[in-house]
Amino acid sequence: MKMRMNWKSVPVLILAALVMAAWSNPASAQDKEPANPGGYHGELDFTISWKRYYSYEEWTKIMHDLQTKYSSLADIESIGKSRMGRDQFLLTITAKETGAHGTKTAMWMDGAVHGNEVNGVMCCLYTAWYLLTRYDYDPYVHEMLNTTTFYILPGLNVDANDSYVMWPNTENDPREPYRPEDNDGDGLYDEDQNEDVDGDGELSSMYIEDPTGNLKLSDDGRRFIPVASEFEDVMRFRSLGREGYDNDGDGRINEDDIGGPDPNRNYPYGWNLGAGWPYPMSENETRNAWEFQRTHENIFAAFHYHNTGRLIMTSVPWEVEGAAPAAGRGGGGGPYGQGRGFQAMTPEQRLAQMQEENQYAQFFDRNVAPAYRHDLAVQQQIATMGARIMKNYRPTQAGPPGSGQAQSNSYMSAGQYAYLIELWGTHMDGDQNGDGRVDQEERMLWLDIELTGEGWVVPHRFDHPDLGPIWIGGTMKKHIGRTPPARYIESEAFRNMQFVLYCASQFPKAEVEEIKVTPSTGDLLWVDVTVKNDRTYPTISDRDLEREWVDQDRLSFSSSSSITRVEIPEGSTIIDPNDRRTQGNVVGTEDPEFRLNGQSSRTFRYLVKMSGNNGWVEFTINSFHGGTATKRLNIRSGD
Amino acid sequence: MSMIRSPRKWAGGMLCLALLLGTAPGASAQRAPISFDDYHGYTGTVEYLQAVNRAYPNITELLEIGESTMGRTIYVLVISNMRTGTTIDRHIELRNPRRENVQNVTPMKSYHGKPGQWIDGGTHGNEYTGTEVCLYIIDKLVSGYSSDDGLKTLIDDCVFYVCPIVNPDGVYNSVEGGNSQRQNSMNNDDDNDGRINEDGPDDLNGDGHITSFRYRDPEGGYVVDDVDPRVMVRLARGAETDKERWSVIREDRDNDGDGRRGEDSERGIDVNRNYPEGWYGDDNEKAGSGYYAASAPESRAILEFFTNNTNILLVQSFHTSGGFTYRPFARWPDSRIDAKDLAIFDKVMGKKYCELLGADYPAEWDVEPAPQAAAGQGMRMRPSGAPQGGTPQQMVRVQRQAPGGQQTTRAGGGGGGARGYDLPREWTHPYNDNADRPYGYGIFIDWAYAQFGSYSMTTELWNRSRDFPGMPEFEGDDVQAQQERWLVNYQEENNGGRFFVPWQSYRHPDLGQGEIGGWIAQYNSRNNAFPGDALRHVCDIHWQFELFKANLLPRVVVTDATAEVLYETNSATEASVTYQGDTATINRGRRTGAVKVVLVTATIENTGQLATQVARGARLAGNRNDAVWLVGDRDRITFLQGTAHQSIGVLEGVMPIPGIQSSAPAAGGRGQQQMMMQMPAGIPPEMMQQFMSRMGGAQPEVQAGNTREVKWLIMIEGNSPLKVIVTSQRGGTHVKEITLR
Repeated sequence: MKMRMNWKSVPVLILAALVMAAWSNPASAQDKEPANPGGYHGELDFTISWKRYYSYEEWTKIMHDLQTKYSSLADIESIGKSRMGRDQFLLTITAKETGAHGTKTAMWMDGAVHGNEVNGVMCCLYTAWYLLTRYDYDPYVHEMLNTTTFYILPGLNVDANDSYVMWPNTENDPREPYRPEDNDGDGLYDEDQNEDVDGDGELSSMYIEDPTGNLKLSDDGRRFIPVASEFEDVMRFRSLGREGYDNDGDGRINEDDIGGPDPNRNYPYGWNLGAGWPYPMSENETRNAWEFQRTHENIFAAFHYHNTGRLIMTSVPWEVEGAAPAAGRGGGGGPYGQGRGFQAMTPEQRLAQMQEENQYAQFFDRNVAPAYRHDLAVQQQIATMGARIMKNYRPTQAGPPGSGQAQSNSYMSAGQYAYLIELWGTHMDGDQNGDGRVDQEERMLWLDIELTGEGWVVPHRFDHPDLGPIWIGGTMKKHIGRTPPARYIESEAFRNMQFVLYCASQFPKAEVEEIKVTPSTGDLLWVDVTVKNDRTYPTISDRDLEREWVDQDRLSFSSSSSITRVEIPEGSTIIDPNDRRTQGNVVGTEDPEFRLNGQSSRTFRYLVKMSGNNGWVEFTINSFHGGTATKRLNIRSGD
Repeated sequence: MSMIRSPRKWAGGMLCLALLLGTAPGASAQRAPISFDDYHGYTGTVEYLQAVNRAYPNITELLEIGESTMGRTIYVLVISNMRTGTTIDRHIELRNPRRENVQNVTPMKSYHGKPGQWIDGGTHGNEYTGTEVCLYIIDKLVSGYSSDDGLKTLIDDCVFYVCPIVNPDGVYNSVEGGNSQRQNSMNNDDDNDGRINEDGPDDLNGDGHITSFRYRDPEGGYVVDDVDPRVMVRLARGAETDKERWSVIREDRDNDGDGRRGEDSERGIDVNRNYPEGWYGDDNEKAGSGYYAASAPESRAILEFFTNNTNILLVQSFHTSGGFTYRPFARWPDSRIDAKDLAIFDKVMGKKYCELLGADYPAEWDVEPAPQAAAGQGMRMRPSGAPQGGTPQQMVRVQRQAPGGQQTTRAGGGGGGARGYDLPREWTHPYNDNADRPYGYGIFIDWAYAQFGSYSMTTELWNRSRDFPGMPEFEGDDVQAQQERWLVNYQEENNGGRFFVPWQSYRHPDLGQGEIGGWIAQYNSRNNAFPGDALRHVCDIHWQFELFKANLLPRVVVTDATAEVLYETNSATEASVTYQGDTATINRGRRTGAVKVVLVTATIENTGQLATQVARGARLAGNRNDAVWLVGDRDRITFLQGTAHQSIGVLEGVMPIPGIQSSAPAAGGRGQQQMMMQMPAGIPPEMMQQFMSRMGGAQPEVQAGNTREVKWLIMIEGNSPLKVIVTSQRGGTHVKEITLR
């Protein structure tokens, strides 16, 4: 059962008052210019270049500097150490004066579980910077930090994240935490890593001149391409693989690189040995992150950044055999259901119809257990907005939670709505003929146009100490294929930040919408109270609800001394058989407990007895993630 | 009933013990004395481990492998000759490292190049007899090293990892605190009152012991024994009695005034349900203990240690009580165990264990290596639906002729029927065959077998009725009471009455007038061997069992290595080829001087009893095949055929496995398996060789069994030292230097 620290001790009314005060008169922002979409200037308060990648030393210094400057909004802590002893620093961002971070519904972000995917570090850092620098200027950000907490861990796999930026590497390495592993079964661990042989700062490929080879240099001298035919009379080459030495003298090069298990197969849910060796949460880096996520029960949603391919992978409940067939579901559990005709369509037809109205519409075709249909609908809605915000990012459903991945684990082990974002994708920008992929020619053209020719390691001769005269080159440099070239860091980070903030803006908010009174007989009154949640997310995820990990929303009643509640035994009274709204919602002796779905409301009916002419009734809804709200109705009896 | 009857019971066992002690009188140099007249607990265990490490620095190393929630260190004592053995990383020169030079790989210890045996106790804090057995085994090993040639060989060639206390907080609270705690400790608010661990048990009368509080209670489940009023007799559920009823509780009070006693102690989770194998249930929801598998500091410490010591092949975990041993699985039926492993578990280890206990075992276990030898003999099967076990002392067995009289040793579906025999009470598995139901989820030995690849087992030590030397075999319907009376007197005569406190009047703050007294919790002998002779008896039997298993460990050696010079010249030059039309021109280059072409032949042999991996061990992530290296001067050697290191599959042991045919090539590890799978069906063996060499495997022929012959063709410029190194993950590392012939 999730227990939020100090929840009961937060005086809700005072908190609401503080929100109002802070917003209407932001003391720290008096001399600044609020509410100007034409240009906020908070970024000038803390200037930082988004045109380069940062080393561990640099990005953690930026985090510390941000915290120092915005100490009323940010805390910094180390959640633990990596294998090589680096601290994993995390920023906690919220407006402290409106409530401690633990009392607010929270968003988790982790930047780069895979060492080489450091654009996630930049997305996290950018989001933190954006929130902090704009709090005093931007009403959207201001309101958000008053009510929401962000836990941001820019680097998760910090050893490898730092190495990727600081040292010559291919775009794919180093990926794993630095647990030693014997990849080639020779009894030695990590003994044959790749090396920048020619010392040019890039980890490229090696080729050797070989009359029997099947490669030649392209006309522009930049690439090694297959010979046209076996009779072509050109200098021929053979590939020797990635740049490196045969460190252990076994005749193979780079066959036992640094690093152990894939950290995104190391999470508990669905973990298996084959993918996640040696055991769940074996790596300090993932374990520290998950222990934080697990023990901060106010976390409602989680973003996990990866590359590449521009995907929004949403955690959705897994397929269940025998659940309702495709055409008969999708809207069942929530506010997003469509008409009966819609139900009869195939999934493709439904998506087509939905996209006539909204080109970004998504339809998740998956049979899920009845208890999980609302989450399927909610995530479909969020993914639709994600596609709208991030334009060329493609929403997908996370696969069956069978391999210990963070995004499945966040949802299945803690009920947190989770998103794996695959950042960047040169193939999308380079596609000229619209066939959905980028061939070599298109890629070179993309480099020439977009990167004005940068980014290519031109083949050149080099005398390899072991292999003799060889050629090195013919590959893209590091920050192109998987991490965007520096000039694109900010545009990618900006759109991703917007999506995160959108999701946070849809965190549930429980409200008492209205209280209505209907006289019954004598001095008896019917009181109808409607509570609602206008946001996309429900107050409790289907997963939390099914596993009973979160207390349900509770509606409580209080009144003046002149008004007393008449306790109706459960199910004894039919109020109005024609009023479907209140059927089954007559409150008996117990305070009602329920879950407010996304974009939904519920009405409850109470019977009260009023003596005298004046009185009041008051209703408070208390929701773990949706917050607390109260409304009072004064009742006066006319003559 | 064709039961094999072993020498019976403890009397026989004691005789063996006496003989064993007699064989080496006074020869063993016990430089760290130890007594088993009392339990050591956490404090005494740590002191003893440190003393052993100080006294035997050349054959021990004391490791700290983790820390409990309450900050107590988890220790492993490594026992192996630190001056013998070698590891592969000492022999391979690494060149041109990345400039980044990350130091994530630490040099191997010499014992990583030896086959390993793991022995642990105290996973459950209140099962501290296991700790004592571990200490007993340590004592036997270290003090026997200098006097017993067999032990010396084991300690020189193998490594023992002994972890007497996996769960330090549980053992500390149970032994030092007298507060029986099976679980680890956690800082949890068990009763949701905002406070942590505020209501544990209490030493109410301040005498330094947790005993019992008894009070008159019309609803109580006890009466005072007629014969000995110190003994409380438990009534059967719903039994009528004319006597005065009492309740007996642990010495405890309601510390936080919430109306409950002891509801928020340090007690955390059962560590032995926190391992990754089968932690989730069939519905993919949590079924084991803890927040997730490996969430507890204790289980994580063990898992991490194993991950870094993959030379462990044998795993023994000591628990209590019952007097029997469990082999895998708890989570799965026997159909998940390879027939070969099943035979090793049951017919090799199980048979020996039953013999040591003087227990009966199935006649099928006596089959000789040739499986047909026992044909015609009846197979016992339990009729479906018959209950397992029967009375605690005697197994219900029904003989039935199997269809066709065929004997099978194949592990079968859910029940034990297809296995071919019923498991005896003393050697069994936790999985419930009859109900086809798991015993538990996330259990250590399941992980150690299925994911780590070791022969793992849990022994539930101590059966009071059987293992107490001198205790009469009581009969009647009040055996428990008779034993209690006997024990109270026994401790008075032998232990000065230290373990039983006379009942004394006490006014309980919550329950009113009553009496405090009875067994001091640690010594009630229900769950743990009584200190002294009984404990020594239990320890010695299990020391013998561990010794038996240690002698099964594989040992891989290069038995022979030769180098034959096939060709030699003193005036070699480098050369290259250019083509022009249909003419190839050879261009001479640098003079290299003397060059030899040499054929190196090595014979690799596993001289140990068991194969170097369990049946499917080499295919598990983190495991590998045995490999052999040819190492010389890198600047002077060129490999013409063969590569510097190559896989030689998994070497079988010399021991024939009862009921199992000697290994076919497919019994090897991952490499060979894959080759086999890619091979078209029905291909003759001679053609297979072609495939294998084309696929990069340099093996000259398909080899099986416990030996391999490996050949390399190399060219040497000038001279180079040569050595052949076999590195087996669980069979050890061995080097042989070659002199050119």
